[in-house]
Amino acid sequence: MSTNRRKEVNQIQLGPLFKWLTLAVMIGGCGLLFVYVKNQQHTLGQETRKVEMQIRETRSYNEVLLAKISQLSSRPALQRKLEQTMVALVPIQDNSIARLVPPATAESDGLLRTAANERFRP
Amino acid sequence: MRWLARRRAAVACVLVALVFTGFSARLIHLQVGKHEEYSAIAASKHSFRQIVPARRGLITDRNGEILAANMPARRVIADGSHIKDKAPQVAEVASPYLGIPVDELTKLLTTTSKFKVIMPELDEEKALALQKELDKKGLRGLYFTQNSIRTYPNGPILSHVLGFMSRKNPNDEVLVGVDGIERSMEEQLHGEDGFRHIEHDRAGREIVVYRGQEKAPRHGSNVELTIDMALQSILEAELENAYRELKPDTAVGIIADPKTGEILAMSNRPTFDPNNLNGTKPDEMKNRAIIDMVEPGSTFKIVVSSGALSEHTITEKTQIFCENGRFLYGGRILKDHHGYGSMTVEQILIKSSNIGSAKMALMMGDDKYYEYVRRFGFGERTGVALPGEIPGLVHPPARWDKLTITRMAMGHSVAVTPLQIVMGMSVIANGGKLMKPQIVHAIKDEDGQEIYRSQPEVVREVIPEATAKFVSKALTGVCDDGGTATLARVNGYNVAGKTGTAEKVNPKGGYMDGKYVVSFVGFMPAEDPRFVCLIMIDNAKLSSGLNYGGLVAAPVFSRVAEKTARYLDLVPNAPSMLPIALSEPSSRKVTP
Repeated sequence: MSTNRRKEVNQIQLGPLFKWLTLAVMIGGCGLLFVYVKNQQHTLGQETRKVEMQIRETRSYNEVLLAKISQLSSRPALQRKLEQTMVALVPIQDNSIARLVPPATAESDGLLRTAANERFRP
Repeated sequence: MRWLARRRAAVACVLVALVFTGFSARLIHLQVGKHEEYSAIAASKHSFRQIVPARRGLITDRNGEILAANMPARRVIADGSHIKDKAPQVAEVASPYLGIPVDELTKLLTTTSKFKVIMPELDEEKALALQKELDKKGLRGLYFTQNSIRTYPNGPILSHVLGFMSRKNPNDEVLVGVDGIERSMEEQLHGEDGFRHIEHDRAGREIVVYRGQEKAPRHGSNVELTIDMALQSILEAELENAYRELKPDTAVGIIADPKTGEILAMSNRPTFDPNNLNGTKPDEMKNRAIIDMVEPGSTFKIVVSSGALSEHTITEKTQIFCENGRFLYGGRILKDHHGYGSMTVEQILIKSSNIGSAKMALMMGDDKYYEYVRRFGFGERTGVALPGEIPGLVHPPARWDKLTITRMAMGHSVAVTPLQIVMGMSVIANGGKLMKPQIVHAIKDEDGQEIYRSQPEVVREVIPEATAKFVSKALTGVCDDGGTATLARVNGYNVAGKTGTAEKVNPKGGYMDGKYVVSFVGFMPAEDPRFVCLIMIDNAKLSSGLNYGGLVAAPVFSRVAEKTARYLDLVPNAPSMLPIALSEPSSRKVTP
């Protein structure tokens, strides 16, 4: 009886131990996973913020460039440039312009006279 | 004794239980009853609604040339609770970027306020550089919020049409369009701000994980005008030259397409630079093309001629006796510049006879003549999409005295806007149809998708096409030898038009002696008009003998029209006015 009792007292009950250990590991793992995921979220959040800032900066920079281009290509700016560089632009004289009659695109049959349908011409 | 001890213990227990019950009740009250209130207070400490500003739409001309753009900028804000005692260090770093002396900036930064605007508009590049410098040195307390500056690359060119932006109230942070297209298209241009609910940490950095509800901004639409900047530049340059040479009080020029009603150019003098409104006088900001009333003078004679012909009161061949230059009517003598005998309506227009015009109006009668004045669009707003347009002043016949009809026929006793004159002349150039003037060509969303495109809009058919053609032919004679506007001619083209010379109205009543408003309104080519142009010059500093529409405004028209014809590549179709040696341009000989 006493031998049996001693046996019962000292025996490591692997089943429950494993059960509780597993539970503890799972809970701990879940906690660590939660912390890890949370950290990941924060890291990704920071990266998102950085990318958003970069996009915003790039867009702003684009707008700055657009505004600068429109300033530099504005008529007063071009006029100033013309005067600075002493480029003398004169209007083309009327007698230097040759005008062509615009080619007819269709005839009485309504067919467009292009190279592709030239063969249909009667 | 034992009973007493138990009783004491019971009392103590009850007391303790009561205390804890009280605590519990309070906790429940705080957690449940006051949940909303305290959670709102807690949220306000670390979360807020961040505005994501919408970008204002661009304004472009009909060819996409940018007329109003946005220059991104940052508003610099100081948070005293973050700066604490480091104001001198922050000022030392920020001073060169902000252009504020260190001492002054230190004073500004020594604040307990959590939101103090240090500079409303700092260049984007400078703001980014300053931010990096502060981060590098581990300093905080200066923050940058998005803002933008509206810029007008062409400065004073087209400023009256574009308008400008300002605060509605002095304390407003947001700028709105207060004049011109900026105002009339405010709804389309400004877009709609978005928002984002965010939380931040102790350092003020956003915790992206806790980002709440957000709504993207709807950026403003881009507005494309009917204006062609090439024509606008031509008009501006010529008007500026005239303004410098003649030193008038004001000058107005308009170019429009008579067939569509599109305004291709519109210019005013004096002018202003919308990029820098400091020191600009209110008078310089007026778009006189739509808000100034003037007596049109002889340009108004097209109304009576067209009306009388349309009503068959006269025919093209009817001879009207012009009283040899002096016509006594209503107890007053009406004079012509020269004495004329009998003339047809064509000759009356060519010679600009006041007496002939007055007699045609008398033949029509008050009501019919008034009807035609109104049918031409005078006395009502044209409906152009620009703010502040006035209808002009045309009294109904019930308020006329005996002389009014004779005065009105020659463009007096009536007040019209320059734009109305252009649209009135467009009736003749467009086969008798009055068009609604258009200034907005299209509206496009931020992705370039077209939301709106203007379509030519016929207001009414004022006169039959045949009458319009006849008047147009007569107006061609105005610019030929013997007409009043030979200086309006353009080499290689037939020009049709009418001069106008009117005494300047005194705001206190009557007319100003020796001061004239002179104008020329014409179209070209006369056979198939591509544009109508008005030049109006108010009180040119010339002697009275030289201050006529045909001498002052017509030459300006001629220069504008010549350059416009070249830009529009109009094929010359009229005999050259140049000497033979120079008048054989290849352009005249259209190659088969």
